[in-house]
Amino acid sequence: MRNLGFGLGLRPDHYEALLADRPRLGFVEALTENYLIPGGRPLHYLERIRARYPVVLHGVSLSIGSTAPLDARYLADLKALVDRVEPQWVSDHLCWTGVDGINLHDLMPMPYTGEAIRHLVPRIRQVQDLLGRRILLENVSSYVAYRSSDMTEWQFLAELASEADCLLLLDVNNVYVNSVNHGFDPDEFLRGIPADRVAQIHLAGHERQESFIIDTHDAPVADPVWALYQRSVRRLGAVSTMIERDANIPPLGELLDELAVAERLAGVEAAA
Amino acid sequence: MSLVSLQRDFQQEVLTRAPRVADDLAGAERGDLPARLGAYVEGYRGRLAEALGVPYGALRKVMGPDAFDDLARAYIERNPSRHYNIRYYGADLWQLVVERNPGEAGAALGELARWEWLLADVFDAPDDAPLPMEALAAVAPTDWPNAAFTLRASLRRVVLATNAVEWWRWANDLASAPAALAPAPEATWLAWRRGTQTFFRSMSPLEAGAVEAVAGGATFGDLCEKLAADVEETEVALRAASFLRTWLSEELIASFAIAGHAG
Ligand SMILES: [Fe+2]
Repeated sequence: MRNLGFGLGLRPDHYEALLADRPRLGFVEALTENYLIPGGRPLHYLERIRARYPVVLHGVSLSIGSTAPLDARYLADLKALVDRVEPQWVSDHLCWTGVDGINLHDLMPMPYTGEAIRHLVPRIRQVQDLLGRRILLENVSSYVAYRSSDMTEWQFLAELASEADCLLLLDVNNVYVNSVNHGFDPDEFLRGIPADRVAQIHLAGHERQESFIIDTHDAPVADPVWALYQRSVRRLGAVSTMIERDANIPPLGELLDELAVAERLAGVEAAA
Repeated sequence: MSLVSLQRDFQQEVLTRAPRVADDLAGAERGDLPARLGAYVEGYRGRLAEALGVPYGALRKVMGPDAFDDLARAYIERNPSRHYNIRYYGADLWQLVVERNPGEAGAALGELARWEWLLADVFDAPDDAPLPMEALAAVAPTDWPNAAFTLRASLRRVVLATNAVEWWRWANDLASAPAALAPAPEATWLAWRRGTQTFFRSMSPLEAGAVEAVAGGATFGDLCEKLAADVEETEVALRAASFLRTWLSEELIASFAIAGHAG
């Protein structure tokens, strides 16, 4: 997948600044569901911004891991949006978001089992066939682990990606969060995932709790995550990278400064 | 434990807080398992509460943040989200507002909730282009009675019988505070979008009836006939033409067609 360089998550707070200041950005990542609406301001801005920047779509509602059937309405709406926006690629999360017609609007973790892989593979294929392209699935933060899991998260990701022939969106913050929450070595995670399938990287901030970390995406990238990012670049090479801020959205300039740090760290690795 | 029952149990625990999934989780010996599960249970409620605050900013301000939070909590316990897009989560909030707040004040709060939800619908309603004023210049006089109009896709109408819109204006710093949440003479309100900007106003009963007729597919001829019930015969055509001019200048109309012709 093409390396688009360094980008940002597209947030309504920054629509005007993006169009007025035209900052140098490799791409913007639009949150799919924000644009799965009939019309109006969000789509108006997305149309103008996609004329200036490459756009990728990032969803939260695919619920690829749910045991409920894939939501036909969601897939149809997603397909229509993809046809309209023509994104560089489409991503969602490796998780489930609800069963029995209910949506928890959360990224619920999967057990790392062969059963889960057998369940996921045909569903991923179905989505990829519908969209006519491979999708990216993102590793999520989790606070609990299942007793039934019989492999590591990275083994699970590697086997799944290979069997379903899909791509990966590596959230480095989520790797760090899970390494703390579940007590593993994040570098072992990095070594265990297939480098050639990682098409995008997310960087984000989080909130430290007593004994575990809640992934809040509401703060600047933390130091250990920066360090892990640098090692990710060493392992994976140059991959499209962006800062993902979902709450406490600062002015655009602050995120651009943060993104410059990523660019500098990646540059150091490229030069090494 | 199959994937099906694992997900069902976990979801039930998140929805009801009743312990269901702990047996399936690793690390039970760790003291922090309840806190970790709590991240899901409370996170679920927090996200939905935040989503409710988005379309209901004025309701929150008028009720006060604490009362609104109580309302949101009650709504969340009762209504799981059934749409993939969290944008549509608060559709039924007005019902709970009325149920929890009996009397005149509650009726006004309920209307405020309905009004804000309607504005949210206008905000992201389908895009269409307004019919330009000049488009009607070419209509032959004999075709006028058969001209029918399509209203803009974003146009919404609602009948309100309280001062909810005054409170909405106050909450948005557009007016001073009304004396109380109170009944008001019944009026039909109109909200629609021009470009990406939302507009609204109230209508006279005569205009509200005319808009309703047009929305129902009435031709200009039908409209005149309807107006004839309330307006002097010599005034009817003028009145209908005047409405039409207003609607065109306000960009309420998307297109027209002459019955029997392509428009
Ligand atoms: Fe992410």
